[in-house]
Amino acid sequence: MTTPTINLRDSVILIAEGSQYLSMIVHGILRGFGAHKVMEVRSSLEVLQALTGQKIDILLCDARLPPHGGLNLTHAIRRKVDSENRMIPILLMSSDTREKTIKQARDAGANMVIAKPISPANLYDRLAWIALTRRQFVDAPTYFGPDRRFKIEGYPGGVGRRKGDQVEVAEESGPALAQDDIDNLFSAAQSGKD
Amino acid sequence: MPDDSTQRIRIFSVETRFQKLARRGGGVPRNAAIENAQSKIEEAKPGFEGWLTQEVQLLADLINSVKEGHAPPGWIDVASDQSAQLRDIGTTMHCELVTFIASSLCDVLDAIAAGSPCNMDSIVCHVDALLVARQKPYRDMKPEQVPKLTSGLRKVVDHVSVSPS
Repeated sequence: MTTPTINLRDSVILIAEGSQYLSMIVHGILRGFGAHKVMEVRSSLEVLQALTGQKIDILLCDARLPPHGGLNLTHAIRRKVDSENRMIPILLMSSDTREKTIKQARDAGANMVIAKPISPANLYDRLAWIALTRRQFVDAPTYFGPDRRFKIEGYPGGVGRRKGDQVEVAEESGPALAQDDIDNLFSAAQSGKD
Repeated sequence: MPDDSTQRIRIFSVETRFQKLARRGGGVPRNAAIENAQSKIEEAKPGFEGWLTQEVQLLADLINSVKEGHAPPGWIDVASDQSAQLRDIGTTMHCELVTFIASSLCDVLDAIAAGSPCNMDSIVCHVDALLVARQKPYRDMKPEQVPKLTSGLRKVVDHVSVSPS
């Protein structure tokens, strides 16, 4: 099997992690992968400010990101119709990898979830999967995000699909944040309020 | 006749800027990238020892103040966040025992937050275990190398989790 190579040199990567120390470790790992443009923020409002102020190529987001959590933030980014970053790849970092949480992340519009504690191999494989796998987007009244009907046959050159993994089509779930709340979040981010 | 909701569903292909950039040649091959990243982790290790000592001490101080009846508001959330940090970083820095104990403590705190009785002994024994695990030679041990400790903590978690609310 050939191992994949991804070029992260020019990608602008945003790490959204409440823990400064963990953020620094992930930053170091990405530097090891050859990434040069890595930014760090500590809250969802700072993420929205970064997304409105500049071009971000991929977001690595903690599922427990203060104050609203990474799932709500993902949902807010996907639901913001006039945002140019609406289709940004989002990799959620979570220590809670129960099936329920993974489904919630998927239904919020995350591209993928990576389990904490993070290992360099797992992070590289997930970034490679997001970079090298073609996945369609779905725009529906109750969902906007990567097609949830996908199947991991194995990360490119990395770990294989787990034996017990099952593929299924998600049921619709209601938005965690109302559209007004999402608009307010973006307004607060644009006006620089925290 | 299809209903309105299915008519409004649009499926389309996207190639993001991240994909375009990442697919270009000249990147760092997987094995080399992982090796470089491990080197970065090793570079951060001296600082990690200080960080670990400080974070465990902060948690121990918090739990001590709760034991002495000076519980600050929201102390369960603060303890949960501190434990989660230790859990999330331990294994990345090759301290699997720290992650194991902190993860077990997170389970205890989650159970209490969900309504189980607040048994301080169940928390204190985890903090004591963390105070030991932050030191050499325990810091570099794996959970399977200290079976009595791990099975003891598992029993504590089971006890807290099944306690009636």
